[in-house]
Amino acid sequence: MKKIVAPDYGLGETVKSHAAAIKVAIKEAILPQTVTSHYPRERRRMPDCFRGYLRFDPEMCISCFQCSFICPANAIGMREAPDNRYYPTIDYGKCIFCYFCLDSCPGGALKPTKVHDVAYNDVDEMLTPTCDMIDMPDLIREDERYVEYKIDEHDLSLERVKGLDDLAVELPELEKISMVSVCVAPENCLSCRVCEEVCESGAITSTLDGDEIRMAIDTTTCNGCGLCVKECSMQVLRLVRREI
Amino acid sequence: MMGTIEALINLMMADQVAIPLLDPILNILYGIPLLGYLLAFILWKPIFAGLVCPGFATLGVILMLFPWIERKLVARMQWRVGPREILPQFGGIIQLLADSLRFLFQEVIVHRDAKQPYFVQFPVLSFIPALLPLLFIPAGVIVAVKSAYGVQIILALVCLFPFFILGLGWASNSRFAYIGTVREAFMYFAYEIPFIIAVLAMIVLYGTSDPVAIAGMSVPGIILNPLAALTFFIAAAMATSRLPFEIAEADQELAAGPHVEYSGILFGLIYVMCYEKMYILSGLMTILFLGGGSGPEIAILGDLSGVVYFMIKTVIVMTLLAALRGVYPRYRLDQGLKIGWSSMLIMGTLALVISLAEVLIL
Repeated sequence: MKKIVAPDYGLGETVKSHAAAIKVAIKEAILPQTVTSHYPRERRRMPDCFRGYLRFDPEMCISCFQCSFICPANAIGMREAPDNRYYPTIDYGKCIFCYFCLDSCPGGALKPTKVHDVAYNDVDEMLTPTCDMIDMPDLIREDERYVEYKIDEHDLSLERVKGLDDLAVELPELEKISMVSVCVAPENCLSCRVCEEVCESGAITSTLDGDEIRMAIDTTTCNGCGLCVKECSMQVLRLVRREI
Repeated sequence: MMGTIEALINLMMADQVAIPLLDPILNILYGIPLLGYLLAFILWKPIFAGLVCPGFATLGVILMLFPWIERKLVARMQWRVGPREILPQFGGIIQLLADSLRFLFQEVIVHRDAKQPYFVQFPVLSFIPALLPLLFIPAGVIVAVKSAYGVQIILALVCLFPFFILGLGWASNSRFAYIGTVREAFMYFAYEIPFIIAVLAMIVLYGTSDPVAIAGMSVPGIILNPLAALTFFIAAAMATSRLPFEIAEADQELAAGPHVEYSGILFGLIYVMCYEKMYILSGLMTILFLGGGSGPEIAILGDLSGVVYFMIKTVIVMTLLAALRGVYPRYRLDQGLKIGWSSMLIMGTLALVISLAEVLIL
């Protein structure tokens, strides 16, 4: 068996190290560099890329289900609203705050916030319906200043700034890539009319021509949500860039 | 009957604590029948030493404030804040009061496997070695019991402490308490011998073991024999389970060592036990090495000036012991034993040799 022996530094070096440790302790006891932020009386200022509670703007939503499809924790469910459209609901009991939904949203309807301290009374309440996601959550703000950590070469220091930190993050307007659904192989179409069923915008129509049902896509009303592409059993539909 | 009371009052009045500052008020109060007797009783030097300083009242204040001072100081060293939420205007100074109230109203759980009578008795009995040494510690000229063997008695009573810790760890009948108790027993033997040798060195040096006489020496012991002071200090840190030697309690691995099973007011008693021991050992260090209550006389305080100097020195020594928590990590048991049985024993013996040399040469 190999025995591990602590290195022997000799008396002089040991005394020197002890003196150095005690010197640091005395220095900190007299002039402490406390780095504790007194939450909730003050709040740490989070960076804009902080992933917190999500906000939702129904005006921008095209009901494409992308957020629901991509959610790895299966936290987002789509619920039918009174206007017969589907909007996301988030179950914060499952959400892992990966923000894949926000990244995948083609309309920019989901918006980030820096809110990280929402409390619920029970598990059922954590399933947030769409109507509660539109506004910022009701927060009781006790903080009067915010705190920023500064990392120097060796030390961490803390800077307190008076004023309320705005927890809502406004993202710059993204350049939208407009997409449209097209049928690449009409001869393979079964005319099952699933695409017509799922289309939220009513761009897909079917007409009876003799014995055949003919499908047509109106490119002006299509909002490029891609639901028909996902649902088509023959996989003849594609999402392509709209030609202007 | 009246004659006996008269004689008693005369006895007390002959040996009162002299405080020139309060004399006008005291003279009026002595005139009031019952209150006067009570005041004469409290200000009688032996009773004053036992009840007020360095005895019961001062111990109470120390126990209420010192854990807060320790936590606050160590928090500053470690970039934290420390207790704050209770009375934040004063930095959470009544934290210990709040804690003790909580302990008082909490249920004391005596679990099924515990040896019930000992489990309940030992925390209470541990106050015997905590309170008795205070009778022999002089604060200036105020001392409860004058004895030519005061230092030895204090030492003997302080050495009783581990007995109670072993007792309550054994009565707990739990594996964590068992390991903690065994560690405590090991450490007890490791520090006790250098500790006694260091005190012995000072007794040899002074040629007396009367605490009042030792405190009255012109040159403080830390200058005469610094090695003995260092040995005593490290042994005191070991005896009070301060951090580099917090081997028996070892929060991270043994939860709380010997007192892991305790709750409620019994836990409160054990929690303050180590601070009581710290107070007594710091008092002993003040007497042996720092000249006790000697210092430039403050005329207006009279006898209390010695008390003030004694308390200031004691609190400084306690603060130094507490500050170790912020500086050092914990040693392993084998490292602690090695330090106790080799370095400390050598240092103690050298201190004794230095003392003998000084006595023989000077």
